[in-house]
Amino acid sequence: MRVVVDHSLCEGNGRCVEVASGIFELRDDDRSYVLEEQPPHSLRAKVDLAVSLCPRQAIKIIEG
Amino acid sequence: MGELTLDSVDIVNPDLYVQRGYPHAEWALLRREAPIYYYQRPDVDPFWAITRHADIVNVSRQPGLFKSVQILFVTVNDPGSPPPEEAILRQLLNMNPPEHGAYRGVVNRRFTPRSVQQLTSGIERITTEVLDDLAGREECDFVTEVSAKLPLAVIAEMFGIPRADWPLMFRLSNEMIGPSDPEYAGTDTVTATLERARMEFFQYFNGLVEDRRKNPRDDLSSALANGLVNGEPLPIFELMSYFALLIIAGNETTRNATTGGLDAFINNPDQWELLKRDPTLVPKAVEEIVRWTSPVIQFTRQATEDTELDGQKIREGDILALFYPSANRDESIFAAPNHFDISRYPNHHVAFGIGEHFCLGANLARLELQVMFRQLAERLESVELTAPIQRMRSSFVGGIKHMPVRLKVRSRT
Repeated sequence: MRVVVDHSLCEGNGRCVEVASGIFELRDDDRSYVLEEQPPHSLRAKVDLAVSLCPRQAIKIIEG
Repeated sequence: MGELTLDSVDIVNPDLYVQRGYPHAEWALLRREAPIYYYQRPDVDPFWAITRHADIVNVSRQPGLFKSVQILFVTVNDPGSPPPEEAILRQLLNMNPPEHGAYRGVVNRRFTPRSVQQLTSGIERITTEVLDDLAGREECDFVTEVSAKLPLAVIAEMFGIPRADWPLMFRLSNEMIGPSDPEYAGTDTVTATLERARMEFFQYFNGLVEDRRKNPRDDLSSALANGLVNGEPLPIFELMSYFALLIIAGNETTRNATTGGLDAFINNPDQWELLKRDPTLVPKAVEEIVRWTSPVIQFTRQATEDTELDGQKIREGDILALFYPSANRDESIFAAPNHFDISRYPNHHVAFGIGEHFCLGANLARLELQVMFRQLAERLESVELTAPIQRMRSSFVGGIKHMPVRLKVRSRT
């Protein structure tokens, strides 16, 4: 899987960083950045949680 | 009270909210037997009551299919005062994509975790002052003297509103949120109260706008007055409405979470002792307070086409009401949902909403509540109710107007 954040949607609420701090990071432009674009499958649950918690639905998982 | 049945549950009569607080037993019945329930009563325009967590998330995540509308909440029709035909304000709550995102962008950066973090020392200072005023006192109204003061001061300072005008902001916020409560409306009708409060608000904000266009400062008033949507200044009605939204939302909901949070601790002394022993629990405790109190009772959506939700056929134009406090007691999401448990983790409540309209001020509300309950845990030596709490007459916001307490607040050390 590949994780991407759509910066036209992200407004830096930071819920993803709360639940998956190793995968996402809030930077000075108040947007979330993906630190690990292809996280191991063991982190899948955390990524799914980040996707579901994002208020703006800015995080996408691309399978494959 | 007799046995609850689907045909007889009442979840929108504001008088019930005054008398009994949130109808948790009714919501539990609906979640169990009819989570997508077509609510038809003689004095209410029919709507779908959505009471499960998963369905509220599902509807909230599809703003194209379930759009926000002018009527923000459902309630009983007041024969003496028909609802206004136009929205009383035109603001984020009744806007839809792409307009909604463009408007949200005008001030969004001032509410991000990083921006809000910079307000910490100011919030700590105000909280300390509020509690200092209580040291040596034996009794107070916890709402007007504590819960209301912090969020009002914080949002007013963010707007650059002078202290002398804070009581005006407090009064007008109450009238806009509680226009059907006699304490706020007097003998005026709902519509008359709303229109009068709106006019007073707009006159005041217009003065701020004129000043900040000439003398911009680093405050929210200036950001709005000089803000652009699609390259153009905000039209005057939308601009005034934006001020009103942020002032009202910034001081009303956090107030009720603070009051309801203290009430929860009074009723659960073991949790209060736990917080005092272990202040590192404050962030989790605040999430639990927000879940437990769920200050916003409901927002509506309207179906934009015929569709289906959990097997129920929803028609284009149908109104859905999302009952957040019900979702936050959903047995399929929360273990022991009717226990106030400040160690609860994870705590995926939807008290701030979810999706397009997720609360703009969530980070600010969290910080205010964290500072307040951290200081209360340090300084509040004892507290007890001296009379029952008084709730606002509303099925929209779970307002607590008064909470008379006997208390002992330690002087600052």
